[in-house]
Amino acid sequence: MVNRIAVTGIGCLCAAGNTLDEAIASMLAGERHGSAPRRFTTTHADTFPVFSIAGEFDDVSDRDMLRTSRLGLAAAHQALAQSGWSLETLKSLRVGVCMGTTVGSAMNNEAFYSDYRQGANPSMTPIDRFLASNPAAVISRHYGFNGPTQTIVNACSSGTDAIGLGAAWINAGLCDVVLAGGADELCRTTYNGFASLQISSSVLCRPFDRSRCGLNLGEGAGVLVLESEASHRRRKIEAQGFVLGYGSGTDGWHLTAPHPEGRGLKQALAEALAVSRVRVEQLAFVNTHGTGTRDNDRVESLVLGECLSGLPFHSTKGYTGHTLGAAGAIEAAFVLGFLQRGQMPASAGFENMDEDLGAVPVTSVTPFDATMALSESLAFGGNNAVLIFERGEVS
Amino acid sequence: MNLLTQPVAIQGIGCVGAFGRGAAAFVEAMQRGTTAPQYHDDLHGDGSAYFPAFLATTDGLDDYVPKRALRRLDHYSRLALLGGCLALDDAGISADQRDRIGVIVASGYGASATTFGFLDSVLDDGDHCASPTAFSNSVHNVAGAYLSMQLGIHGPNLTLSQFEMSVSAAIYNAVCWLQQGRVDTVLVGGVDEHCAVLNYCYRRYFAEEIEPQRIEPFAFNRQTAIPGEGAAFLVLSRDPKKSRYGYIDAICAGHVEQRAESVIQRSPILLGADGHRNSGQWYQRCVGNPKTSCSAVYGSLPSGQAFDLVAAALMVRDQQCHAACDRIEEAAQIRQITSIKCASDGQFGAVRVSRWSGKGR
Amino acid sequence: MTTKEKLKQILVEDLNLEDITPEEIEDDEPLFGEGLGLDSLDAVELVVLVQKHFGVEIKDMEEGRPALQSINTLAAFIEDKQE
Repeated sequence: MVNRIAVTGIGCLCAAGNTLDEAIASMLAGERHGSAPRRFTTTHADTFPVFSIAGEFDDVSDRDMLRTSRLGLAAAHQALAQSGWSLETLKSLRVGVCMGTTVGSAMNNEAFYSDYRQGANPSMTPIDRFLASNPAAVISRHYGFNGPTQTIVNACSSGTDAIGLGAAWINAGLCDVVLAGGADELCRTTYNGFASLQISSSVLCRPFDRSRCGLNLGEGAGVLVLESEASHRRRKIEAQGFVLGYGSGTDGWHLTAPHPEGRGLKQALAEALAVSRVRVEQLAFVNTHGTGTRDNDRVESLVLGECLSGLPFHSTKGYTGHTLGAAGAIEAAFVLGFLQRGQMPASAGFENMDEDLGAVPVTSVTPFDATMALSESLAFGGNNAVLIFERGEVS
Repeated sequence: MNLLTQPVAIQGIGCVGAFGRGAAAFVEAMQRGTTAPQYHDDLHGDGSAYFPAFLATTDGLDDYVPKRALRRLDHYSRLALLGGCLALDDAGISADQRDRIGVIVASGYGASATTFGFLDSVLDDGDHCASPTAFSNSVHNVAGAYLSMQLGIHGPNLTLSQFEMSVSAAIYNAVCWLQQGRVDTVLVGGVDEHCAVLNYCYRRYFAEEIEPQRIEPFAFNRQTAIPGEGAAFLVLSRDPKKSRYGYIDAICAGHVEQRAESVIQRSPILLGADGHRNSGQWYQRCVGNPKTSCSAVYGSLPSGQAFDLVAAALMVRDQQCHAACDRIEEAAQIRQITSIKCASDGQFGAVRVSRWSGKGR
Repeated sequence: MTTKEKLKQILVEDLNLEDITPEEIEDDEPLFGEGLGLDSLDAVELVVLVQKHFGVEIKDMEEGRPALQSINTLAAFIEDKQE
């Protein structure tokens, strides 16, 4: 990335809290709000805990749309409010929207399909809703933005990719402002899918722990308002943080298993560090993908040891569950929040080191002085993405 | 339009659709003016007849990829993989030259047949018999993943899904990657597949319409869409000398109402209009002459703009409007053409392809 | 059809091993790695297929791993559970 990009607004909703401040406070207090799914039932013998958004959240639009898109819009609303932009001004600019998702772009309404199979002449409402719910288009349409929009479906790295690519649009001069992030809801189809792959844990997840036995799904959304450094200076707005660099790399290995030596992750790290001109020793900490599956945590531990040795690291999945296409965006919001506060929460769910990994995340609230941090996401299909952030001007 | 400071060269193209596969088949079909849609004898569960559709086959994919490696690939991924292989082949990029290549796949609906296949496994045999293979193949980035795995491309890999705007967004990213030097080459394209549920949606949504015999892209106020499927890919290079078709030298996106003036072109316009009345009104407002369209050849599909970009590359290379045109006398010599795709809500994405780059374009 | 024959048919048809026939699979051939070349995704798919076709549950991979070695071990596991 040629220039650093200013983050002037942050929106975030997840099981840890319905705003970034709420979520950070509950994580620093060590709260874990996992429970059985509330919005759907299944017939599995085991219950796999999930991390649901608590109660109601702000409904920004009264149009009928998927919960995923409502979550994304709510996060965008928070971020825009903080950014200080007036909608009038934004309408005269080229405002792009980049959102990552999985559920928000899947036409998988089970009731509709079941009725279709039975020849029951189903109502078209679920299809209408799906067609009206593309997470990026929803945000652009709601605010009347004028600029490119894209919904990124790189599975679990989508949120990280969305922020990196949104920043690239500004750097390339294609947009003045970009709203970038991700959104995903808890969904029966995804729940069944992860159960079928036998990577869902029937207890609260334990990233990097010796006895880790899978992930917990979660839901939520994160959105950042991105603009050039010149733009935020001109507006005399304090930056919440900066995006310094983005990198991505592809395993080209297997549909669901990560490359055993972390090929694509290393490539993503190398690119992000190179374009941001940041040295590893300048980083305060690493936000890992840390889902709690045997494979993911093994590969991340290996790469941490080889490429990011000595840095404190944690996973926040133990507080939010794995929010799939939203994960990278929610965690980007967290990283910026932790940098502002100079402290990071314990890696929830970790108790005992896995001798095979030799990796120990932080086990208590940990203060730090450095002003930069790195966040990584790994995905099905072999996608890997890395973002590097710097502390902003607000504290 | 955003004029690109550094136009990107079109080095190769590949496509597969109901018209067949490859440039020659595509040009021949465009000149003929249409492809015949297929009619199924099957009925949907509620007794309604299947809508006609433009269907594609992926025969010959095992010329490029070993059969065993294809065992898990569904039709959607096979379409994308074949489109990608054809484009790389056309660009002359062999297996040992695949460093610093990025992959971008745009799809309106993703692997829809497999998505419903996964639901079948749940509905047939219960939650505990959900198929993990179907689930992993229903994730949208599966085609991008197979392109990476089977072709040994390890650069940035991106999948976008935003209905009609997917391909335009893909080009935005491809241009960024090339301008910023992330990669030297981008394999970028669109793919969508037909499936029973999609077919049923056509039947339901357009129940009151006369069933179309062919797509009439310029009949903006009539519903003449016939679903299509296929994949179309471009190989884009940052090296201007690698151009074999021309250059992408300007891009634009936004809302037709707010940004229509910026789409005004002196160059011909290749409309992505594909027989849907709800987007027809927006195409009607796109200014530029003459207007052409080739959707009658590949069908109605959200990622259809990928076919338009392949068509634009071929038209600029041959300096000839291969497709149906509203003012044929003015389309005699195509040196520049702008592909425009509109969504039902008035969002549009435009990509200009020119024969020359730099001064005098 | 014996359990072994049925298993071979399931492997070829449901895992789409298009390049071989059921008869070509040896009873003691390793299913994964060097043998038939199946992978981790096939392993979890096989768990579902065994449940679906034989009504036999493989609880997790700890139980599954020894059973999923070859046609012989898997058939023995299934027949043992069915009794």
